[in-house]
Formats: sequence, structure tokens, C-alpha cells
Amino acid sequence: MTKILFERTGGFMGRKVSVTIDLDDLPEEQAEALDEMLDEADFFELPADLTKPAIPDAFTYNITVFSDNEQHSVRVSDATAPDNLRPLLEELSNQARMQR
Amino acid sequence: MPHRHSILCITPPHMLKEIATQGTDAQREVALRTIDVSEQIRTQRRTALEMMAFMGARAVRAGKQRIVYDAKNGSKLPGTEARKEGEDPVSDDAVNEAYDGSGITYDLFSNVYGRDSIDGNGLRLDSTVHYQKGYDNAFWNGQQMVYGDGDEDLPEAQRLFNRFTIALDIIGHELTHGVTSYEANLAYWDQSGALNESMSDVFGSLVKQYQRQQSAADADWIIGEGLFTANVNGTGIRNMKEPGTAYDDPVLGKDPQPGHMDNYVKTIEDNGGVHINSGIPNRAFYVTAVELGGYAWEKAGQIWYKTLTDKLSERSTFQEAADLTFAAAGELYGAGSLEQNAVKKGWAEVGITIGGDAPTGCLPSILRIFGLAN
Repeated sequence: MTKILFERTGGFMGRKVSVTIDLDDLPEEQAEALDEMLDEADFFELPADLTKPAIPDAFTYNITVFSDNEQHSVRVSDATAPDNLRPLLEELSNQARMQR
Repeated sequence: MPHRHSILCITPPHMLKEIATQGTDAQREVALRTIDVSEQIRTQRRTALEMMAFMGARAVRAGKQRIVYDAKNGSKLPGTEARKEGEDPVSDDAVNEAYDGSGITYDLFSNVYGRDSIDGNGLRLDSTVHYQKGYDNAFWNGQQMVYGDGDEDLPEAQRLFNRFTIALDIIGHELTHGVTSYEANLAYWDQSGALNESMSDVFGSLVKQYQRQQSAADADWIIGEGLFTANVNGTGIRNMKEPGTAYDDPVLGKDPQPGHMDNYVKTIEDNGGVHINSGIPNRAFYVTAVELGGYAWEKAGQIWYKTLTDKLSERSTFQEAADLTFAAAGELYGAGSLEQNAVKKGWAEVGITIGGDAPTGCLPSILRIFGLAN
């Protein structure tokens, strides 16, 4: 069981978008791709708050992941996100965009 | 509003020293501690400025210098060079828009306010276009401008946003964040953050008006016109003339900006609503500019520019901005002048009285700490 809560705030427009993804509900290929992105980012080892310094008009991303035995939340911005987390941010942003 | 770190605002050292020598034991202790913290902050800020000067040194040249890069839908900055100063237009609209837009912004600051680029010292203007894929945003990362392509990767019927270089005032907005970081350096949260946003909208809009040679009365005062596709019910991202009316759309929702202190939005999102409450100072500028007539970049722009570069500080509030624009108008055009009265009217329209009794400023909070005021 892996569940991802994603929220994006701020940006030039200051508008919030969000999406919740339950990997069990996804086709196997997509679920595996997301799992790999979480692994690649070392998600459960990331510091909880990576939003400083505040950057004008950058998006702020809140990601919470629930798995069988752990739960972790991370806050990052466009300017502060580690490179290995960016593919996940882009994928989740795109999923949130498709919600509208 | 919660008032954080009020003791850390820029307090005249002479005042603290006065308190340290004249005050009671308890007052002296607080003052000495504050002097110590203020010194540390000044040192940190000096070091940061020196670092920025060092990092920017390789980019420093005389006059207008631009480079536009292409991120090719990735996140690596700055990306591949696509067009630099003096080169002919290329076949990519986003590259040319970033090039031309940063040039017109440079021209406004240089020709009207006598400022040589973002740092006042010829700093090269770097922009990156095609940042990521489906990126509905633009930002200033402390060193350069970054623009996304909006929804240009989606089928036309699903698109809400065009590329972010499409609106000249967005380019002016991002560059002004750079100017602000070298001047008042307004902290990017709560009221100081909303003032930071408002300064970017004010000068972003002035860049557009300057390019079109439009008077305050003729300008549309829309920020981000052309950014929405025809699928959106809206004229732009923000409306400085009537905050809260820029869009009202089934998918995007309604423009949340207030145009009066009565409707100030308290929120923790968006760094305390910096893109929301900026509607209040935005409208104050609009009213001032229309009251003065003619070109807004002339008198109203001069007053706001002087306030940004000479008067505001990191934790300034709306009340302080009102008082300081009033003071700047007095210095530029005389006490009791038409210009000073226009500023007063601008802020009154949004519910802020010059010299008003909202004690959110630096001096009142210091006096309160020392038990010298309520």
C-alpha cells in the first residue's frame, strides 16, 4: 500500500492545486514508475522542510507519502528541490493539472 | 496580523544606544541584546551582498546586456544559450519575447529612473525559457528569470495557460523582484511579501504602459493579459484597478484579491497570501496614478521608486509603505503638494490613513518592548 498526497501552492498566480494518488488504483506500470521516483529521491530520508530561502513566485510543494510501515512529509520549492526529487514533482504536478 | 521578529527590524543604532545608556537596568539589557543581534544581522547582510557582488562580477558589464537560455523542457539552469545581446531574432517566440521584454524593462529603469539594470551596476539580465514541461509559472530565482511554457504541451481544447513570456508585464514583474532584492529586500511573507509582490506588479505594469506610451487613464491595469487561453473566462491574472475581478472561471475559480483592508485575507498558504493581499497596495498605486493623470511612470512611478530604493526595509508593513510613499512624495514634490495629496488619496481608498494609528511599524514595537508605549 502506498498513497501520495500532493499539494502545490504559491506561484505567480498564488493558486493551489492538489491530487491524491493511491498506487493500488493505478495500472501496474504507472504505480511502478512512481515507486521508482520515490526510491530515486530517497524520499523517506529527505528533510521535512526544504523551503528556505523563500523565492519570489516559485511554487511550494507539499508531498506526504503513506506506505505500509512509514509516513513522511516533505515541503520544497522550485528553487530548493533536490535534483533527484524533480521527476516526481513534475509527474505529480502533471497529475494535479489533469484533475482540473 | 501576527508580528514576528519585531525587534529584528532595522532600528536606528543611535536610538538603541540611547536606551542602553539612559534606560533602566532591564531596558538596558534588552537594548544591548538587540544591538548585538542587529550587528550580527548587518554583518550577515553585508556578507551576503559581498557574495552576490562576487557571484555577479563575471556577469557585470556596462549598459544593457542580455542572454536568453533554453532549458529544453528540463530543470537545469540556465540551460543552452539561445540568443545574446545584439544578435538577431531567432525562430523561437519565447526566446524573442524574453529578450525583448527584458530589454524594455531595462529601458524603463534606465531612461526614467536612471538605474543601470537590476543591481544599479549593469548586471547582465539572464532569462531561461521552456523550463520543464507543462510548467504554469515564471519566477526569479535570485539570479535569473525562469519561464514555463504553460499548457502548450496539451491539446488546444484543454489548455488554460499560454507560455509565460507572452505578457510583457510578467517579464517586468520578475525583473522587479531582482531590483527589490538589491534595494528594500522585502521579506517574502505576510505584508512585506505582499509589498514585494505589489512592487513587481506596479513596475511590471509600468513597463507595459511605457512600451505602449499609454496614460494612466488609458491603461488597462491588467497583469498577465494574454496568459489565459480562450478556454478561460478571464482577462488576466490580476487587476490593479479593481482587484478581485481579473477572472471568474469554472475551473480556475474566482480571482481572490482584495482591494481594501476590510477584506484583507489571512492565510498561511502562498507565504501568507503574498499574491492575494498585494491587491491592496496595487490599487493604492492605481488610484494615485489616475489622480495625478498623465503617464503613470512619471510622477507616481518616481514616488514608488524612491520609496522602494530609499525608504522601505525588509519587514515593512502596508501602513509603513503608505507613510513612506507620502514622505517620498513630500521630498520630491513638496509638502502639501498635489502629488502628496494624490498619494494620501490612493491609500485612503484602500482603507489606510497616512500616519494612521495601526502601530505595526518598527518604532512603535521597539517603544512597546521598552514599556514606553501601549
